[in-house]
Amino acid sequence: MNRTLLGWALTVAALALVPVVLHSDFYLGLATHALILAILALSLNVLIGLGGMTSLGHAVYLGVPAYACAWLTANAGWPALPTAIVAISLGTLLAAGFGVLALRASGLGFMMITLALGQVVWGGAYRWVSLTGGDNGIRVEGRPHPFGINLNGTLPFYAFVCLVLLLALYCLWQLDRSAFGACLRGTRDQPRRMRMLGHDVWRIRWIGFIIAGFWGSVAGLLYCYDYQFVSPQTLALSQSAEALLMVVLGGAGTLAGPVAGALIITIIKTVVSSYVDRWYSLLGLTFIVVVSFMPQGLIPGLRRLAARGRT
Amino acid sequence: MTTPALEITNLQKRFGGLHATRDVSLRIMPGERRLLIGPNGAGKTTLFNQIAGDFFPDAGEIKLFGTDMTRLPTRHRVHLGLGRTYQVLTLFPQDTLQHNVVLALLGHQKGGWSMFGALTGRSALQDRAEAALVQVGLGSAVRRRVAETSYGERRRLELAMALAQQPKVLLLDEPLAGLSSDERETVSAVLDSIPRDVTIVLIEHDMDVALAFADRITLLNFGQVVLEGTRGEVTSDPRTREVYLGH
Repeated sequence: MNRTLLGWALTVAALALVPVVLHSDFYLGLATHALILAILALSLNVLIGLGGMTSLGHAVYLGVPAYACAWLTANAGWPALPTAIVAISLGTLLAAGFGVLALRASGLGFMMITLALGQVVWGGAYRWVSLTGGDNGIRVEGRPHPFGINLNGTLPFYAFVCLVLLLALYCLWQLDRSAFGACLRGTRDQPRRMRMLGHDVWRIRWIGFIIAGFWGSVAGLLYCYDYQFVSPQTLALSQSAEALLMVVLGGAGTLAGPVAGALIITIIKTVVSSYVDRWYSLLGLTFIVVVSFMPQGLIPGLRRLAARGRT
Repeated sequence: MTTPALEITNLQKRFGGLHATRDVSLRIMPGERRLLIGPNGAGKTTLFNQIAGDFFPDAGEIKLFGTDMTRLPTRHRVHLGLGRTYQVLTLFPQDTLQHNVVLALLGHQKGGWSMFGALTGRSALQDRAEAALVQVGLGSAVRRRVAETSYGERRRLELAMALAQQPKVLLLDEPLAGLSSDERETVSAVLDSIPRDVTIVLIEHDMDVALAFADRITLLNFGQVVLEGTRGEVTSDPRTREVYLGH
């Protein structure tokens, strides 16, 4: 068995083992939530890890599809499938539009534009009460029943999220090893050189932005199914910053890194915070320790340690 | 009358109060080997940057085989047949030599950015990249990472990436800079092997190699053309000595 197959087999086995190990519905629900955030972190990793574009507004692609899903379900009474298609399409189209604006700059300028766009959308959700419910948000009753499977149970919903996560991992793995992935990494490392090689650097980055928006929107849809509630907090800067932290902590540019980052941060935020009052300090401390000893993140750091151990 | 491969007319570029390019005009004929010389700060690389489209001139015109490309973005110039190497190496150090050349080939291919299938599985592309590396004598290092190669090998990789795109006009910015004498010989041999259907404009400070290579020479100083001529004309002109030695 080659290493790639072994990696996939271990991932599937680990996901399958979680319900066996966690006997409580609460913890399984928590694991589900962590996996949804892992999809969000994976989507942001397309921008940061492959494209070298640090975004501070990625919560837009979590929040807007979540709002669209909640509004269409609760207020318009749409069925699940068209709702999902419209919600994901809306998030992806928004990424296409915001990408045009954000990619007018690079580096710090890009980061500030994404931050500003994120804040504009957050402000809109907060103030446009007739559409979004303002601070009260929008509540949804129940989850969809794809192919007659009731996702209201914790276990079926966990299994559904696992399937989507595996699909996201597979698609992003394919992207990473494809010609497009190579070009996106090229624009990250040597944009000037890529131009001189005949590449349309702007368009490559824009397509990367749209792909990130698409998978962020998928996470947003699942987020709405998970909480059955959406509020401006979903679009807040803290949500974008958390996603960024997940990617950097786990290791940008790897597939396992954002997943590991999402798991660690969810555990600290929800489990450890039950026992430790100053859990934000603990989160900060964890981040400082990891980036001090493993500047490229946890997964690349562990890989390097393992390689050193073998030699 | 033959259309020049590269024709530059009255090119001007200022950076604030600094006149980086001052009324520069050049006519470089197909197949020609043109050497640009001049002291540091003469505006040679700035001229290359304008030809490549890194920035646009304030005035003047740049034509490639009669096509005006003064305001075209860099990638369009590349698709018209312009290639370039850099004085400061700009490679992808974590990737293999083959991958670096593959990126060059992808830049020249319509629809090269497929999102499906592994890039390593595109054997036609990989074979072409390998052939380009063999051409510059790097056949044995195809799968080595750039970070694990010597400086001379990286210089040759720069050439392989440019040559893989089959340029009509190639701008070479100090291809021998920082090389040992053995490496200089190897790179010079690669330069000599480039067929005459590729027009070459060369910036080089190694005068022995450069003078032997060039058909015609242009001397630049303070952003303007001081003189232009054959090897004999330029080397015997007192202005060359004055610009280089100050007397």
